[in-house]
Amino acid sequence: MKSYKTKRAIGNAIGYIILILISIIWLFPFVGLVLQSFRSYATEYGGMVDYLVPKHFSLDNYKFLFDSSQTNYLLWYKNTIIIAVFVSLFQTIIQLCVSYALSRMRFAGRTFLMRFWLILGMFPGFLTMICLYFLLKQFGLTQAGAIPGLILVSVASCGMGYYVCKGYFDTIPKALDEAAMIDGATRSRIFFTMIIPMSKPIIIYTALVAFMAPWCDYVFASYVAFGHDTSYNVAVGMTRWVWTNDYQGYFTRFCAGGVLVAIPVTLLFMFLQKYYVEGVTGGAVKG
Amino acid sequence: MAKGADKNKKSAASLFFEALGKGFKEIGVTFVEGDIKTKLSYIIFGLGPILRGQILIGIALLLCEVLFFYFMAGFGWQYLSKFSTLGTIATKKVGRKTVYGDNSFLILLFGVLCIFAIIAFVAIWYINVRENRKEELLLKAGKKLPSNKDVFLSLFDKNFHKTLLALPVTGIFVFTVLPIVFMILVAFTNYDKNHQSPSNLFTWVGLENFKNLVSFSGAGIGGTFVQVLLWTLVWALFATFTNYFLGLAVAMLINKKGIKFKKLWRTILVLTIAVPQFVSLLYVMKMFANDGLINGYLIKWGIIKNYIPFWTDPMLARITIIVVNIWIGIPYMMLIATGLLMNIPEDLYESARIDGANPWQMFRSITLPYMLFVTGPFLLTQFTGNLNNFNVIYLLTQGKPQSVNLAEKAGYSDLLITWLYKMTVNDTNYRMAAVIGIMVFVVTAVISLVVYNMLPSVKDEEGFQ
Amino acid sequence: MKKKLVSVLMTAAMGATLLAGCGAQEAAQTAQETAETVAETATEVAETAQDAAEAVEEITDYGTGDIKVWVADNVVDFTNEQIKAFQDAHPEFSGYTFTVEAVGEGDAAGNMITDVEAGADIYAFAQDQIARLVTAGALEVVEDSNAEAVKAQNDAGAVGAATVGGTLYAYPLTSDNGYFLYYDKSVVTDPSTLEGIIADCEAAGKNFYFEINSGWYQTAFFFGTGAELTYDTDDSGNFTKCNSTYASDAGVVALKKIAEVASSKSFQNGSAVSNATNCGAIVDGTWDAQAAKDMFGDNYACAKLPTFEGADGKTYQMSGFGGFKLLGVKPQEDDLKLAVCDALAAFLSSEEVQLARYNAVGWGPSNLNAQKSDAVQADEALSALADQLQYTIPQGQYPGDYWSLATSLGDSVISGEIKADSSDEDFMKALTDFQTTCESYAQ
Repeated sequence: MKSYKTKRAIGNAIGYIILILISIIWLFPFVGLVLQSFRSYATEYGGMVDYLVPKHFSLDNYKFLFDSSQTNYLLWYKNTIIIAVFVSLFQTIIQLCVSYALSRMRFAGRTFLMRFWLILGMFPGFLTMICLYFLLKQFGLTQAGAIPGLILVSVASCGMGYYVCKGYFDTIPKALDEAAMIDGATRSRIFFTMIIPMSKPIIIYTALVAFMAPWCDYVFASYVAFGHDTSYNVAVGMTRWVWTNDYQGYFTRFCAGGVLVAIPVTLLFMFLQKYYVEGVTGGAVKG
Repeated sequence: MAKGADKNKKSAASLFFEALGKGFKEIGVTFVEGDIKTKLSYIIFGLGPILRGQILIGIALLLCEVLFFYFMAGFGWQYLSKFSTLGTIATKKVGRKTVYGDNSFLILLFGVLCIFAIIAFVAIWYINVRENRKEELLLKAGKKLPSNKDVFLSLFDKNFHKTLLALPVTGIFVFTVLPIVFMILVAFTNYDKNHQSPSNLFTWVGLENFKNLVSFSGAGIGGTFVQVLLWTLVWALFATFTNYFLGLAVAMLINKKGIKFKKLWRTILVLTIAVPQFVSLLYVMKMFANDGLINGYLIKWGIIKNYIPFWTDPMLARITIIVVNIWIGIPYMMLIATGLLMNIPEDLYESARIDGANPWQMFRSITLPYMLFVTGPFLLTQFTGNLNNFNVIYLLTQGKPQSVNLAEKAGYSDLLITWLYKMTVNDTNYRMAAVIGIMVFVVTAVISLVVYNMLPSVKDEEGFQ
Repeated sequence: MKKKLVSVLMTAAMGATLLAGCGAQEAAQTAQETAETVAETATEVAETAQDAAEAVEEITDYGTGDIKVWVADNVVDFTNEQIKAFQDAHPEFSGYTFTVEAVGEGDAAGNMITDVEAGADIYAFAQDQIARLVTAGALEVVEDSNAEAVKAQNDAGAVGAATVGGTLYAYPLTSDNGYFLYYDKSVVTDPSTLEGIIADCEAAGKNFYFEINSGWYQTAFFFGTGAELTYDTDDSGNFTKCNSTYASDAGVVALKKIAEVASSKSFQNGSAVSNATNCGAIVDGTWDAQAAKDMFGDNYACAKLPTFEGADGKTYQMSGFGGFKLLGVKPQEDDLKLAVCDALAAFLSSEEVQLARYNAVGWGPSNLNAQKSDAVQADEALSALADQLQYTIPQGQYPGDYWSLATSLGDSVISGEIKADSSDEDFMKALTDFQTTCESYAQ
């Protein structure tokens, strides 16, 4: 019995060592990012360096970001929040609608629709970028109108991502619906007063995922908003600091900007982690 | 997912023709047996329903017809009429000013839109005929037609799905289906940097681009295509399975009895999901650069003499990408596995332990089979997702290093999808990008289909909806 | 009309809730007035204005009399000031509003080509993009009287760079797009030989930056040993002929040297000060002068490119491209607007503005008179560049594919596919392939 205990203690010790190592590896880039963001711009060079800990700590980079006479960073940030909020809102509504229809109702063309969307999803999205750009342009939703344009495109196609949500609805027993219908409730009533209140986890999951996506959208956003600084999102605005030679010594500013971008998303994520786990787990099982 | 989508494939064609035949027959019968209201409805949509008091349905049908003709006359026809040539009037100069000719791009785009409009028009016409037939039969049988109010209210009950799906389906149609059809058609044109709208025209070239794809000599890109395709497959395989097993291992480690602060460990890992990838990956990219942090410290500490070319050596770049991808992927898999592991009944392990099984045996005979069974479809979607994993590759290497041995600016770490992106954005070589895009689709579709049928959980969970 | 119709129809089809096209409508209303105010040259005022109103409605989403200018981020403020001066000097253009956007010279061409209509009316770009822009119909021919002035007042290289076939397509802005050596005085003792620089860097454990996977920097070696690569173009930007002698002994010497440099442990591929770490010396251009000063501090120094000793025992001076930044005007559907654009582009590339730009951000002028000014003559980086420029050839037109092909060649060297100790046959084979591909770009 004693040997079993020591064995277990050793096992746990190894486990802790591995976990600590993993934590270091996983946290290292973020620690680096935060440290670099505090590297003084005035006394040290703002570009890349090959040391981790700054020689002088300062808030120069953050001051730069908040100075609207020098950069539109705050505007980009605002744009991204606007996009994220609206996309999150509309996408959740649409996915709920689609999922309910596909999960609860049986109508002609239902399986065709699901198969068709499945096949559509296999086409690479970038292919359609140029086409979407000119479609949006017809509505005046590029460059100056890029923000509503980006919201529109994200929302328009989101119906195809119904899987997770439908999977959740499938687990709600149909007997509930039937009982309600015998009581004379209409389909819409069931949807609004019964299914939706029961779906809090999945609603939060859908909204959270939709909220996080626009923060990373570089590719399409840069395509739609090109040449119009005021309608960039953070990803488009900031990757220029790293990728183009026009911005010398902006690396520390990029890090500072990155930290600010990471804060709201991370906080939100931490608070709602439970629902996220529920969503991905459910989604994984349902495929 | 549409379960058993392929199973009905065989009968789908014959079913379709059967339905078509039935449809034509119905159209004929309706016309012959129909009264004057019905006959007139063949030309003026919804006239029959309106005259029979079904105002709501009638007006909706009529509105569709009016809209269609307004659209075609005022907008569509000018594009559709040039669809076969994609425009012939070239851009010219009058004095110093530029007078643009036909815009091949818009002709193609709106031509496709018009064709869809025509198909929709025919479909609505058919619905219109059926509606007339239905009403007539109802009246003949001596029943009452539903009131307008009932029709309207049914949109929230019996026909609630129509209300729910109207917007998403149109959205997907305009912003997904239309662009995809458009880009498929581009693969049959010479739309590239020398034929760029609005200054230059482009036109149909048949299968020329596909010939280029499979041409292995001279300027053909066949060799490069095969190379990129192979790496895409290898990458997807590694990315999926390394993440899967390592994620599972980490999840089991954290779940292990006796390990404390479970929540803390998970939170640390989960940070990589929360921080936007363009921030974390760009930083990691800089970290591994030849003159970056890692090489800098390794040289400073005297561990290595020369820098390690993480991104510039083809083989090393590929390995580094896979390793960094593990960094991104483990947390995600860990979360999923954590949830699922808890579902495995504890008594299974208990009885195995009594039988004297060691942890490895328990993993092999209980945990793994269960996980593979439950997450089969998930693994498949992960795999196809990785085939098209743009962010990781593009933010880390942008497909580099390039080589003189690869055509069309492809690099050794390019996936089909990043290669396609570079063709579109940097070279405006839309025609080849479209061809590659179709290939990506074919690869994804074939793999999905084949693997899907092999999954054990698909067969056993057929009834699952 | 067309635009409205689409909006209306598609919107109706989509359930009428989506945000429909705005902006375009107001454009039509203001078009008339604005067009009239500028119509000083037009004889048939009414008719032309009408035409203009119609035409302009199609070309831009932002309304008539809106002229968009794209320049790099660090000269946005400067350009705004200059445009203000331009407007004060030309009250007849008061109907036009000017907006300046930060789009770097690198991105400008790509964005213009994606959608010419939505692109800027006037934009700055690096000269290597000019042929591509002409082919895509994104550049208007420089107006005759302006063309004469441009040719007379700018250095020959700059004019050559702005010329495609026999036609002048752009206004030279700067003549400083060449590269030379920035180095750390405390590390590099003698910047005159490449071998010496690398040895010094290796000894000090510092990095030597040279972007060998860029078609632009690579030529320092190839042209230095006497290998050639130029293209002939016709008036519409098509490449008609490739003149290349890369597949020669001279080419082999150059490529061998590149591979040898790349094999040094202090070598780093790159040419941007902001991405350089632990830097001992870097081959870069004047645009990074300030950044280099910040980085090297008191040890900042610059010099022309060094000489190097080839495998054949001879000594070669490194050569390369002398490059230029250009200002282009987009083709317009309206003569009047085009006239305004012409005037503004000519103004922004004039002697005074070039000089002012030098004073503001340190860009070396292409204007001959501005080059002679004392301030420009005294500039350390610019004089290093001037030293170097006598060994370089003005950069002509190259197809876009050349640049990526050169990147592939450079990447192959860096990744060790082509090694310093490869046989001469291997080098020759790589160069023959390279040359054949280069030739295939010309029709």
